[in-house]
Amino acid sequence: MDFAFSREQVMFKKEVIRFAKKEIVPRVQEHDLKGEFDFTSFRKMGDFGILGLHFPEELGGGGADVLTTVLAGEALGEAGVDGGLTLAYGAHSFLCADTIFRHGTDIQRKHYIPKLASGQWIGCMGLSEPDAGSDVASMSTTATRQGDSYVLNGTKMWITNGPIADVAVVYAKTDPDQQHAGISAFIVDKGTPGFSAGPPLIKMGVRTSKTSELVLNNCAIPADNLLGNEGEGFLMAMQTVEWDRSALLAPFVGSTTYLVKKCADYAKGRVQFGKPIGHFQAIKRKLADMRIFGEAARALVYRIAWCKDQGRPLNHLEAAVAKLFIGDWSLPVTNDAVTLHGGYGYTHEFDVERIFRDTRLAPIGGGTSEVQKMIISRLM
Amino acid sequence: MNFDFNDDENRLFENVRAIAAAAPAEEALAGQSVDAVSRTLRDILKQLAEIGYLQLGFGNNAQADAVPLMKAMETLAGQARSLFLAVEMSTRVLARAMAHWATEEQKERWLQGLLAGESIGALALSENTMNVENDPLQTLGVRKGGRVLVSGSKNYVVNGSLADRIGVVGMLDGRPALFMVDRRVSGLTVSDRIRTMGYDGLHLAALDLHDCDLPEENVILPPENAGVLDLLRMWENEVLLAAALGMMQASLAEARDFAKSHRSGGKPVIAYQEVGFKLSEMLTLHQTAQLFAYRAVWTMATQPKEGASLIWCAKVFGTEAAERVAGEALRILAGQGYRSGSAAESAYRAAKWTQISGISTEIARVRIGDHALGYR
Ligand SMILES: Cc1cc2nc3c(=O)[nH]c(=O)nc-3n(C[C@H](O)[C@H](O)[C@H](O)COP(=O)(O)OP(=O)(O)OC[C@H]3O[C@@H](n4cnc5c(N)ncnc54)[C@H](O)[C@@H]3O)c2cc1C
Repeated sequence: MDFAFSREQVMFKKEVIRFAKKEIVPRVQEHDLKGEFDFTSFRKMGDFGILGLHFPEELGGGGADVLTTVLAGEALGEAGVDGGLTLAYGAHSFLCADTIFRHGTDIQRKHYIPKLASGQWIGCMGLSEPDAGSDVASMSTTATRQGDSYVLNGTKMWITNGPIADVAVVYAKTDPDQQHAGISAFIVDKGTPGFSAGPPLIKMGVRTSKTSELVLNNCAIPADNLLGNEGEGFLMAMQTVEWDRSALLAPFVGSTTYLVKKCADYAKGRVQFGKPIGHFQAIKRKLADMRIFGEAARALVYRIAWCKDQGRPLNHLEAAVAKLFIGDWSLPVTNDAVTLHGGYGYTHEFDVERIFRDTRLAPIGGGTSEVQKMIISRLM
Repeated sequence: MNFDFNDDENRLFENVRAIAAAAPAEEALAGQSVDAVSRTLRDILKQLAEIGYLQLGFGNNAQADAVPLMKAMETLAGQARSLFLAVEMSTRVLARAMAHWATEEQKERWLQGLLAGESIGALALSENTMNVENDPLQTLGVRKGGRVLVSGSKNYVVNGSLADRIGVVGMLDGRPALFMVDRRVSGLTVSDRIRTMGYDGLHLAALDLHDCDLPEENVILPPENAGVLDLLRMWENEVLLAAALGMMQASLAEARDFAKSHRSGGKPVIAYQEVGFKLSEMLTLHQTAQLFAYRAVWTMATQPKEGASLIWCAKVFGTEAAERVAGEALRILAGQGYRSGSAAESAYRAAKWTQISGISTEIARVRIGDHALGYR
């Protein structure tokens, strides 16, 4: 067992941090305040090569392995990029683009991946529904075969990038009598008659990512837009879990490194009772707990990435462990960061309050902590 | 990066598991005399030497051994709690100190016996309190005509009443030194076994040294600025971290097996979310602490500068997680767990020791905070 990164990986991570600090971070607070998606930053991430990092070069990607891709996510968090943008990136690159890449035909890959990798198009993924979140197999959206088309009906809920997406991977039941085995996955393009997005939801955190309903009202799509075969949708959704538990969790790890530094800087400068508050042991304790969490989480995420690079099937128990730990343990840490900043921490002047709000999604999105516990207790 | 152990390493873990499984249980050791515990300890040391466990981390392979050693220690600690600590204070702390700082003659005299499992060692570091961070060491050696007279008081010495060789840490010529003291040397008084809350089979004692007369060859004098106290604590921290992992492993296994087999209301209790979810949290803590420990010792072995603070972090996390996992296991096991002799009950009591011994979690947090602030 060893935990070494290659020199190239270390250099690349540093480059991503430099890029993000210069090109993205200066605009983060403003976009969060306005609740706006930062199209400029997103395109820049595409130009830099982050959005398509793990796709083959001939499709406009960077040909990177999973571990390097995870490091890029960590670097974004470490640079101070907000959770909204990293979530939008995750939904786009992994939940949408990667599903098309893995399960699409050659024609579909060539059509979609270069545009998604560059950020010219934005992708989203619709799995959850208003009445089917944790219990996603009970979804009610249907896809009915009619000649050379499938006709989709239903509503998807909580869809990251929903209002701004050019293409969606949508899960629907081709056999409503079945649970998991009745689910199939489809590509739905923006502008398809019967396909629309609801207005963006106003959220507590990850405000720079746009979230909405997707409405499918007698939405007819070519039968070729079925990904893989009928009934394989649930498995495809589960395959994105590998990304969800590695590349999508990595920004939380990086963000903790950012928080430790940010809080330490504040504690060194803020004087109370005649000395910097960093001299008080209670403040050191908070900093210590932040660092301990970040360091503890790190190898959990690397392990999933490394196994994926080895071509091993996802270990669902290990994946749930990573999600549960980061989901639950990240909250007290960001809470402490706000307290450490006192009244200033409660204002928008410092970004710790935004990080606190963004992190609140960690135990909910992509499967709640309770769902992770259900998985672990079943598997053990 | 590589998250796998190789075949040789896995074989070693199996061998360690087999030895640990055959060792007497905690409650059996609890009532035994010093001589009986000493015999058991010598027996297990011999077996561990034979399979190569004791020699792990010594010699040229120290770096490559770091992670398998942590896993092997966890395996032993999971089944043989007190014996593990006794073995490791002798091997991974005292013997390591010798490997680092002893002369070749001293190594020949003492180290070889320790690594061959032929003798038992102890390290006497703590004094009035367990904390040697804030107060200077009071134990002093004074040179006198080619000999050294050592005086001072030591407390909480693991193997204190069993050890053949005791490395007493004190000051000589204004810097830390290890005085190698034989159990029978005149001027040394060893207390009765200190009764403790946990670690029922462990022999802790206080030592009083009054002008213990030693030949100069019995002094191990590390070079100046060797960071002696920090390193000794670091090695102890690694051992305590492994002990914590072992406790989690044992408590979790006991609670899981019980929850799957014990039925209530017509179904196994694991089927109740209150139980199943607790087990999930326990497993999450164990796996997280385990990977954290592996990464920390690997970093310590490859980049010692960064590794030190990572070991403090892993030690705080692992030892606090151990208490929590054992505590949750007790709630799942209910009456069954509350009985003396359950793995969780014994781990719950022992976990406290892992938090206060070595670098305490309080001092560790202050240091980690200082590190983040650039104050150290
Ligand atoms: C900002 C944001 C972005 C999102 N992006 C996407 C996206 O891009 N695509 C997508 O498809 N989805 C997305 N989601 C949806 C997300 O995955 C779901 O919110 C999540 O899976 C939980 O589903 P739910 O909200 O319906 O909660 P529910 O399933 O209704 O759960 C409510 C509560 O009950 C608990 N619970 C449910 N079942 C059990 C049980 N059996 N035992 C114990 N407790 C239980 C849950 O843990 C939770 O605490 C997003 C959500 C948010 C908030």
